[in-house]
Amino acid sequence: MLDDLKFRVRALFHHSEVESELDEELRFHFDREVQKYIARGMSEQEARRTARMAFGAHEQAKEDCREARGTSFIELTLDDAKYAIRQLIGNPTFSIVMILTLALSIGANSALFSVINGVLLKRLPYPEPDRLVRIFLSSHEFPKFPLNPWDFLDFRARNHSFEAIAAFTRGDVQLSGEGEPVKLNGFGITSGYFRVLGLRPQIGREFDFQSEIPGNGLQVIISDRLWRTRFGADPGIIGGKLTMNMQPFTVIGVMPAGTEHPGNEYHSVAYGESVDVWWPFSFAGNSSQRGSHYIEGIGRLKPGVTSERALAEMNAIMAELAREHPNGDSGWRVLVIPLYSEVVGATRQMLLVLLGAVGIVLLIACANAANLLMARASARQREISVRLAMGAPRLRVVRQLLTESLLLSCLGGALGLLLAFAGVRALVFLLPADFPRSNDIHVSWPVLLFTLGISMATGILFGLAPALQASRTDPKEGLQKASRGTTAGKHQNRLRSALVMAEVGLASVLLIGAGLMFRTFLNLIHLDPGFKQDHLLTATLSLPHAQYKKGEQVADLYERLTTSLSALPGVESAGAGSDLPWTGYDENSGLTIEGRKPDPGEGFHARYHMATPGYFKAMGIPLLQGRFFTAADRDGSFPAVIINHAMAEKYWPGQGAVGKRMSFDDNPQKDSDWLRVVGVVGDVKDQPKSPAAEPAFWWPENQAPQADMSIAVRTSSDPRQAVDGLRQAVRQLDPELAVADIKLMDQIADSAVSTPRFTFALVGLFAALAIILAAIGAYGVISYTVGQRAPEFGLRVALGAKRGDLLRMVLAQSAKLTIPGTIIGVILAMSLGRVVRGLVYQVSPTDPVIMTAVVLLVLFIALLASYIPARRAAATDPMTTLRTE
Amino acid sequence: MTGRIELPQGTVDLLILRTLMTGPQHGWAISERVQQVSSEVLSIRQGSLYPALHRLERRGWIKAKWGSSDNNRRAKYYELTRSGHKQLETEAEAWRKLSIAVEQVLEGA
Repeated sequence: MLDDLKFRVRALFHHSEVESELDEELRFHFDREVQKYIARGMSEQEARRTARMAFGAHEQAKEDCREARGTSFIELTLDDAKYAIRQLIGNPTFSIVMILTLALSIGANSALFSVINGVLLKRLPYPEPDRLVRIFLSSHEFPKFPLNPWDFLDFRARNHSFEAIAAFTRGDVQLSGEGEPVKLNGFGITSGYFRVLGLRPQIGREFDFQSEIPGNGLQVIISDRLWRTRFGADPGIIGGKLTMNMQPFTVIGVMPAGTEHPGNEYHSVAYGESVDVWWPFSFAGNSSQRGSHYIEGIGRLKPGVTSERALAEMNAIMAELAREHPNGDSGWRVLVIPLYSEVVGATRQMLLVLLGAVGIVLLIACANAANLLMARASARQREISVRLAMGAPRLRVVRQLLTESLLLSCLGGALGLLLAFAGVRALVFLLPADFPRSNDIHVSWPVLLFTLGISMATGILFGLAPALQASRTDPKEGLQKASRGTTAGKHQNRLRSALVMAEVGLASVLLIGAGLMFRTFLNLIHLDPGFKQDHLLTATLSLPHAQYKKGEQVADLYERLTTSLSALPGVESAGAGSDLPWTGYDENSGLTIEGRKPDPGEGFHARYHMATPGYFKAMGIPLLQGRFFTAADRDGSFPAVIINHAMAEKYWPGQGAVGKRMSFDDNPQKDSDWLRVVGVVGDVKDQPKSPAAEPAFWWPENQAPQADMSIAVRTSSDPRQAVDGLRQAVRQLDPELAVADIKLMDQIADSAVSTPRFTFALVGLFAALAIILAAIGAYGVISYTVGQRAPEFGLRVALGAKRGDLLRMVLAQSAKLTIPGTIIGVILAMSLGRVVRGLVYQVSPTDPVIMTAVVLLVLFIALLASYIPARRAAATDPMTTLRTE
Repeated sequence: MTGRIELPQGTVDLLILRTLMTGPQHGWAISERVQQVSSEVLSIRQGSLYPALHRLERRGWIKAKWGSSDNNRRAKYYELTRSGHKQLETEAEAWRKLSIAVEQVLEGA
């Protein structure tokens, strides 16, 4: 055993010594044979010949000896690798083109896989995340709706499916103390919220049921980051006070680092460690009023309980509630959605489509590499023939060639990995703001393994066919041919043409995809948004309840602020509204419409907003009928409301909505219960991609004061110049207020189309890569055949063919490759149309304009790629080519 | 050439070991000797001889040493190790049993 090991180790580490000993040993044997035959009376020449015949295949014998030494695998691989490196260095252009194209495509795959790994594959950062679900309501009109607090309490008390359920709602706070007041991302949470997530405070405790009682709300749990940055990680902070919204909150807990937000629908904040403070949600008011829905549910299923079972139970509870509270609770069903689907659901399709696209790029790169390798294998025919003639087994030749392609793909992979590091950074930077889990996207171990895996697979995929084909070389024929310059068999030419066709086809698919994404993007940015996004500065302001207890105070501040803003130089108009377009706002309210009855089990609903008199003008939302709000719409005058066109069409179709009345009461009695429509404004959709605007109405801020408002300032020149004026105007009215989210409306509008832009940018990039690869492929094949047909061209020129004829001949040959390729591409793209349906906007996946444009583009590029070899063919000098023949 | 028999691998090993029992030899001499002793019936082709030698060496049954041959050239000499002797006994015994058994079957049938 030990001998065996020693022997192998020597064979391995003193490899060249062992090899030369073997050579010497075999040479000795051969010489003795020769001597033997001479002694028998043969001439030396004859003796040598006889000995060589008796000797058998020399290389084969050496091979068998190596095998017998038991180290052949490693030895051979090292040998092959050394040989392969020499080959690559000897052919730098070929090697660089191969490695770069592979690096680009492998790098693109690794970068995208990093995204997929972080977003789709990595477990959510909670213990047993499979048991976490989100709980929503759903009705005929609102497919996915938040919960009503009282319903939530009943769900919590009556269910048996959940280990715990909790609810949460966004509520940012203003932290004051030292320095400028800052706005913090905050959430109101019920007790048990962290227990549901499976997280525990690192110091202190979670909220208990006591803290849900109104009056007990002045408690706070803070994030690790806030604790460290603001409080120097002071462990004595528990029991200390924080001034938030001008009120003293007692710190009862500090969450550990890595406490990630599970995501929320309404006023959503990013995933990751994006929340600074959690305050206790309190259940205040009348438990029989169940019309308002604004808290989001999350639950942890008991072990072994499926989300289907939980759903069935929750719906049974909902049915009970509908019987108990027919006014508020009828018409609702419960939705129980696994947290994972909720988090990644919307991006999954996009990511899978992108993965498909980048996979196609890799396939094209493989086809391209196989193509180049095959061209080279025919140039190497002589070398391979010699090796075969020397008795090297075919398998050995295949192995050698495969080692070369694996070396290429692994070098490509290593370089690709570097590209991926850079690419992932660029990707994360480009990602839409609402992209889930973007903080989890890194080049990590799984990505490294993936890269290694695809590099190996790529190397084998593109190397195998050329290697097998080369090993089939007939040594005799190969050697004979090689002396006359190289030619490849018909079979090989056909295979190479098929590869180019496939490349062209796949590249066409990607180009069509890129075209669709581009159209989608264009459609979205050229869409009439219903407001004017340019020259508009926006910001948010929230008035702390402690200071602004009465509605009049709130209304008064916004009235004075908008007045002073309007007076600023360069400001055309200024206003405040409960929200800005395209920011995901979708608060709804139930309604009574005078003279109309809803269908049983359903109600009238519309989005509700607040606005000051200048809001619509500042936003650039046009007035269609009636009037805007004025300063006269205040307490004491009749309740006024402005509605949008969609609402007018829905509830008062064709009758002129101005003067009509609606109410929030189920049974309005008095005149003051009614709101009168004073104006109709143009529609603004929730998101650029939304199919249509939702019915919506606005209340005058003076009649329904809201403390958290968005400010809109329309300027005549660059809106950035109004920032200082805005800050100053706020400071003059109240130095304690934090002006937050100062943004241009252009930026907001821009981020609303960031997802389609991202998709378009990536698919476009992949398509560009694909068509470049396909062009290289076409160039390779055409220039190779031009070289092969040089004698024929020479002959034709000698017989009187014009240069133009040759040019046309070659270009026609290229068209023969690319036209079928584009046809395949178009057919493929049409059959894949279903896959992208959800990603396109107002363009059919089989759009004929895009298809035609892509076909023409591909043909043009392919012709361009073959133009260079075609020129070379046309420049054929008949004398030289015929002479070399 | 017609009277020669191609040898299976195990038999080659046995013949090599037996040939080396009389003392160290280089590869060529081994093949010559086998041919001689077997009255030109058995011949070990070089293609199987050297791999077999390397294999036997790896197993530790033979040892290789460089020495000078009768015409003063460096040659690789193989010699039987102790475990090689044992292996030869076992294999020879097994071979005898096999050949007797085969003979009996051939006679009986």
